[in-house]
Formats: sequence, structure tokens, C-alpha cells
Amino acid sequence: MGQLVTIDSDIASKTLRPAVQHYQAYRPRPFTREQRENTTVLFGGLTWKHERLMQGALHNLKYKAEPLPNIAREDLDAGKELIDVGACCPTIFTTGSLVNFLKQQVTVHGTDAVNQKYVYLTAGACGPCRFGQYHESYAMALDGLGLRDFRVFLLAQDELDQGATGGGGIDIDLPLSMGLIWAILCGDVISDLEYATRPFEVNPGQTNAVLKDSIEYMYSVFNRRPQQGKKLATIAWHLTSGYFTKALREVRKKWDAIEVDRTRAKARVKITGEFWLQTHEGEGNYNIKRWLEQEDSEVLPPPVAVWLHYLMHPLIRKLEHRHSKSKHPKRDEFLLKVAERLYVATYNRFRKALADIPNELPDQMELKNLAEPFYHFELRGGEGHMLIGKALYAYHHKKAHMVCELSPYSCMPNSMSIGSMANVIGKHPDLLYAPIEVKGDAEVHALSRCQMILTEAKKRAQSEFEEVLAKTGLTVQRIREYEREHPELRRATYKVPHKGYSGTSANYVLHLAYDRQLAPA
Amino acid sequence: MPIRISRTWFGKKASGETENARRQSKDRSQLRVGIPKVLNIWSTHQFWVGFLRELGIASENIVFSSDTTEEQTREYGKGRGTVDCCHPVKCMSGHYGELIFGQKKKINILLSPMIHSLPSMLHGHVLDTVTCTRVMAGPENIKAGFLKERDLFAENGIVYASPFVSLGDRDMVTGQLYPALKNVFDLDQEETERAVDAGFTALDNVTARIRRRGREILTWCAQNQKPCVLILARPYHMDTGIGHDIEADVQACGYPILWLQYLPVDIDLMHWLFESDLSVGRIKSPFDISDVWTSSYSSNTNEIMWGAKYAARCPWITCVVRFSSYECGMDQPTYTATQKIVEATGTLYFKFGDLDSTKPGGGIKIRVETIAHYLGKYSQEIILRKASYLSPNCPLGKMPNRTTTNASVAEAAPRSRAV
Repeated sequence: MGQLVTIDSDIASKTLRPAVQHYQAYRPRPFTREQRENTTVLFGGLTWKHERLMQGALHNLKYKAEPLPNIAREDLDAGKELIDVGACCPTIFTTGSLVNFLKQQVTVHGTDAVNQKYVYLTAGACGPCRFGQYHESYAMALDGLGLRDFRVFLLAQDELDQGATGGGGIDIDLPLSMGLIWAILCGDVISDLEYATRPFEVNPGQTNAVLKDSIEYMYSVFNRRPQQGKKLATIAWHLTSGYFTKALREVRKKWDAIEVDRTRAKARVKITGEFWLQTHEGEGNYNIKRWLEQEDSEVLPPPVAVWLHYLMHPLIRKLEHRHSKSKHPKRDEFLLKVAERLYVATYNRFRKALADIPNELPDQMELKNLAEPFYHFELRGGEGHMLIGKALYAYHHKKAHMVCELSPYSCMPNSMSIGSMANVIGKHPDLLYAPIEVKGDAEVHALSRCQMILTEAKKRAQSEFEEVLAKTGLTVQRIREYEREHPELRRATYKVPHKGYSGTSANYVLHLAYDRQLAPA
Repeated sequence: MPIRISRTWFGKKASGETENARRQSKDRSQLRVGIPKVLNIWSTHQFWVGFLRELGIASENIVFSSDTTEEQTREYGKGRGTVDCCHPVKCMSGHYGELIFGQKKKINILLSPMIHSLPSMLHGHVLDTVTCTRVMAGPENIKAGFLKERDLFAENGIVYASPFVSLGDRDMVTGQLYPALKNVFDLDQEETERAVDAGFTALDNVTARIRRRGREILTWCAQNQKPCVLILARPYHMDTGIGHDIEADVQACGYPILWLQYLPVDIDLMHWLFESDLSVGRIKSPFDISDVWTSSYSSNTNEIMWGAKYAARCPWITCVVRFSSYECGMDQPTYTATQKIVEATGTLYFKFGDLDSTKPGGGIKIRVETIAHYLGKYSQEIILRKASYLSPNCPLGKMPNRTTTNASVAEAAPRSRAV
């Protein structure tokens, strides 16, 4: 939080007026270039996989960098103690996480050392939503901890080349931004592979072991990333180099070893919601993704890449509608659309390297059009119209049996789109939709609410599996025999094409029946 | 029957077309337009009145819903809520319902704009002036309750219109309202532009008029060395069903009330209040709030922070009363900051938080008595102390008697209470 500072001592001395101490917002001390070698940049907010790869990108640029420990239930209590009442749970959890880490470090190193040894880098600039105001909570918590000299810096999400920040210690330039974005994209595609594999693994634990190995390998890939200069050469290299795709193909080889059984009929659950809560894997969202898998489901995790893609689109739409203040709207629109194509193409290259198992990015125009009757695309805050768009996208394209929307208690944008979903459900009553309000300390309530919808989703998954078996005349036994003749079918990296059903097992049966002519004549 | 006059090629007006004939061709005098009196309509209603009147809608046919009441919600909004959120957004269902079902003379159009940004005295001095994410999306949420089973607007012969509009960026407004409303009102581009101009003129006029009244109040306070109270709240707290008329109870104790939205902003006054901040480079202008609030995106939040700074400096504002609705995510990060800004100069600070649909009459009475007690006991001391921080060249009139030594004033400890 801020502090009281004497601001007019000069005037006071000239006029004999008493000096007044006005409140001033928190301002971090400079973090200079010379301090970089001895100062650790803390960061967090994504999954451990994304964070490890981002750490690789930071180490590559000679930053000392360390992700905060994964969120724990205790962080909620620590956060609540130190910030104003009524905060949303992502604010409380992330503040508490920083607080608990710093408390621990102060115990070991002392306050002064912690103030010198660490800085915290976090995302900011997200408009009026509290996501863009987390730093106010951090500042207040630091004040409460007696760590007012600890330094917190903001990273704008919409600028890749912000230059030296906060004294030159952090240089937010293209090598850093491109490294972090590429780390996120790689983290996303590996996460997709993970969630598409684990529910079907034959040997429990194998997916997690291979995943860990893959992430460590990719960490070293990012850590060894060749330097290509500061500006255009860096962009060009990232867009054209086979460096990352080659590495991802190595990852694919590791996943070839995992044996899966895709005849298990699982409910496919699309996760949507508030950015932090849907991305998180841990106690901050009751470990709901892992819980869903334990409840016989296949989870479709939300890639961070969709959010980055979305960030481009409000601007493109504004330019298209000439609602922008740009002096060159047509040129800007063209450039943004080119950037978007390159972005999607890069993501697809990474997907291809992993046998196209990771899901494609949804078309942002389609998300907008699907949401349009229910939620205006220019309404800002959180994921905006995307929550409705994504739910309808999964429904119409049969990508999932149900949608589980994770919403923090008192989240401003999420509560609005959940309300608007009432209209969507009115029009599409068979869309299985579970909006889950997450407070952080009401696990049983949230999970039981999810389970009610999940029960119906599981029934649908089972019945469509039985339907395709009946339709194709195949049996599980016949499929097993065929798999023995064609062991590649049981590899985690074998791509099962979408054949019009939501469930993986139903699509698998149809694929065998018609694409591989297994169905009886 | 009015005769429509075709336009010539290249969009030039036909020579015989007169303004009158053109207006007659779009006779809208019988159209009745209902506007839910909610959220930021409280600070922009004059824009909508000016806009509609310019289009030829008769004043008596512009219908605002009543102030929020529990009865309104029960009678017209029951079963229409779609999500649990803050009261100012939730109560919109009752306003929609009242306009649809509760009018003796039916409305033809229900106009509920999605106001994305607001005109603000801080425009150009802050990062943005956008509205709360819930407030701007409120209409989408509330309309769902009237569409989820069947289209209750259509069943009642009402056209629902919810234009997305950035009132904070005036040059964008015509471009937003014309496509959104052209089919609703049979608009053309030119008349939309004229109506938008008329709307902003009406809004500017009323804002300037109320600010002049604010200056008169401050001038009276300065000339009589009397205290006044600043209400630090969002525009919709003026709704007696949301702010529960608390400021009226304070006023009844004999203290003039100022709302932050209508604080006088004359340049002489601004420079006098913020002289020391400007001279040391703490701020770039009197409307700069970067010294206290770095995430200056939200219009109403920005104004609350600025209002707190204003109150901390203005000698005759001896007390700030803060209103905040239950579950307000915009207010939540500002609670401590505003209190610290205000109390830095010993100005009294009281907060009515978590305001909801039920008016806690007994609690309000006790708190108002507490406020009046502190105002009576400490106001003169506060006026003296705060005046001593400022230049004697006060544009509002004479400064308080400065016989009290600076030292004794400075030593007087700030006495403020949050209840």
C-alpha cells in the first residue's frame, strides 16, 4: 500500500505554512541493470509447466528467475489477512502466495536481504477488472508485512517491446517477450497432450513421469535458445526456425512410449472461466481438473494461447468497425491480421510436431459470432464474450459433453457472462453447463455441484459409445484383437480424428470402423 | 400524410427539402421510450434526454423507471435474476420489469445502453475512463432474464435496444449509436450526429449548472467558516434504494452535502487546492491522480480517488462519507487507499460499506448521530488546520482566522473514525 509523504516542505519553509503529509501510492525502488546478476525475479500465475519453460527463457537471457511455489490453501488465509475485504479469490490466492514466500525468506535471510535479493514481476494493464489491480493488493500486503521496500513490477500484456523497466533491471524487449510467449505456447501444447493421454493411460503414473521429463527437456531447449539480436531478427527467427518444432518432435518420441486404451468411455469436459482460475492446477481451484479425471472424465484444458489470441481481437474488431482512434486504421488492421495469422500458424506448427494431438485454437471470429446474440464483443473485462463463445463452440462442434466454467466468487466479468448464459441455456437446453463458483474454501460444495452435471455427461459419453458400437457392428473384443495387430493404435501419439461425436472413445470406434475398414461389411 | 422527399444522387439533398418536412417524415412524437434508471444513467441521463428530444421524442414520452425499491424488485423482477452479483446490477431486473409490465401507457422501446466509457473531468489525465465490467455488461445479463423462456419484450410489443456506447470518447458516439439504433428509430447518419451533439450539450449544461451550485455551497462555507460533507460514492448511490438516502439524514443535521461527481472544478480553485502538489512536481495537473492510483482505468474509481484528494485538501470539507455496495469489486481495492488519502490531513472519514437492498434504518441512524457528533466537535479545528496548509489567496473568499499558530494547528492530532 502507499505511504504518507511530506510533499511541500519547500513551500512550507518559504511561507511558514506547516508541511502536510499526503498519501502516496506504492512505487517500487529502481531495479538497476547492475543488480540483475544478484537479484532473483519472482513470477507466477500459470501452471508449473508453463512457469518452468518461462524460467528457461529467462535463464537464457541471464536473469535469475524463480517461479513462486504452487498455490496452496494456506495462501488464501495469508491473503485474506492482509488485503481489503471482498477481494476475488485469485487476488487473495496470488497475494497470499507472494506473502507466504516472502515470510519464509525473511525468516531465513532477514528483511533487508529479501528486499535486495528478490523482485516480483506480474501481469498488469487489464483494464478495470481487478486482474489489472492485483498490484494494489500486493502493495497493501507488503505494507502489512513491513516489506514496503520490496519491489513489484508490472508487465503490460499488450506490448512486446516496452524497453527497460523500473530502472533497467528488467529489459522487456523482443528476445524476452518472444521467449516468454513461445514458452507459453509450448507449455500449452504439451498440456493438451497430457490431458488427452492421462485418462486413457494403461500404466498409471506413466503420463506424469513422461510429462516431467518432457518439461525438463524443453526447459533446457529454452535455456539454450540462440540469441538473434534485439529486434526484427528475433521475430523472424522465432517465426521461421525449426528449433522448437524439432524439440517438440523429440518430446513426441517420449510420448510414443505411453500405451493408452481409448475404448474407455469418458465424459469430455471443457474447462472455461476466469483466466487465472481456469489455467491454474492446484488448490486454488480445488484441483478440479485432476478431480474430474478421477471421476472418469477427459478434461479439455484451456490454453493460455487462446487468451493471447483474444487480446488481438478487440483491437481488430474496433479497427474493422472504425471505432478506433488510430490514424491509419486500415494499415493497423492489416498488420494485426498478419500477426494473427503468423501466431495461429506457429501454434499449428507446434501442434503438428506433437502429432496434432493438441486441440486447434478456436476461430476468434466464430467465437464472436456465436456469442453475439448474448454478449457484445466489445464488453471488456476478463474473457469478455469468449466464455459464451467457447461454450457454444464446444456444443456446436461436439468438442465436449459438458462445459465447466470456473468463476471466482464476486468476479465481475464472469458473473455477467454466467448471467447471460441463462439466455443461452434457454435456447439450447441440452447444453450441459456447470458454472462453479470458487471461493477457495468451499470445496465440497463446488465439486458436488459439478458432479450433478457430470453425472449426465457421463451417461451421454457411455450411450454414444454404445451407439457407435451398435451402429458399426464392432465390439470391444474385436477392437482389442485389431489393436494387437496394429500396436501403433495404442500409442498416446496416435491421432484419432474427430468423427462428429463428443467422446474420444466414440470417435475412435468410428475411425477404426470406417477409416480403417474394420466394420463388418 | 407526410411526403417523403427522395435524395438526389451522390447524397445531395433535394432542393425542396426543408428541415421541417424531413422531421415530419419521421414523426416520432408518439413513440414512448423507457429507460431503466440504473447504474451510470444516473450521471448521463441528460445525454439521453437531449438525444431523444432532438429526435423528436416528446419529453412526456421519455419514461424513466422509479428509484429502486424492494417492492419494485419483488413485483417486477422476481424470477428474472440470472446470477448473484452486486445489488446495483441485480436490481435492474425490477427496473426492466417495471417498464415492461408497470406502465399505464405502454412503452414502445426499452432503451438500456451498455455504457462502455464515461465523460469525466479526469479525461486526458488518466489511463482511461471506462466503466465497471459489471456495469457495462449489466444489460446483457439482465435481458437474459427476460428472454430465457420466451421473448417478453416482443410479447409486450416492446423493441429492446441496448447500444454499446463510449460516452467518454465523444467522436466515437455517433459511429456507435447510428448502426445500433438506426432500425429502432429509423435514423439517418446526420440526425444521429445532431442528436448526439444535443445530448452532450444537455449533459454539459446540467453538469456545469450543478457544479456552479457546488461552488456556491463551498463559497458559503468559506465565508461563514462552516463545514460541509463530501459523499464519496458512485453515481447510482444517488438512487434512494441503493444509497438509502443516507446523505439526506446527514444533511438534516445541518451540514451541506456535496457529491464528488459535481465538485466545482474551476481552474482558480483547482490551482489553489493543488498548488503545493504541482509546485513539487508530484502531479502534472490538478486532475492527475497518478500519485495515489496507478491503475487509473475505471472512470468512477478514478473520480473517487480524485474526490478523496480534493476532500483532503479543501478546508471546509471536514468530513467524507463513503458509500459502497455489497460485493462491489471496483470499490474493494480502494477502501484503504481512500481512507488514507482523506485522513492524511485529519479529515473525518466514515464508510457505509456492503450496502444492499435492505435499508438498515437503525444502524444508519446511530451512525449518522456519530457523524454529526464528530462534525460538531472537530470541524472548526479541521478547517483551521487544513487552511493552514494552503495559500491565503483563497478564490472562495476569506480564509479562516489564522490567529491560531501554525504550530498549535500542526500539533493537533487528526481525529477520524471509520464506523
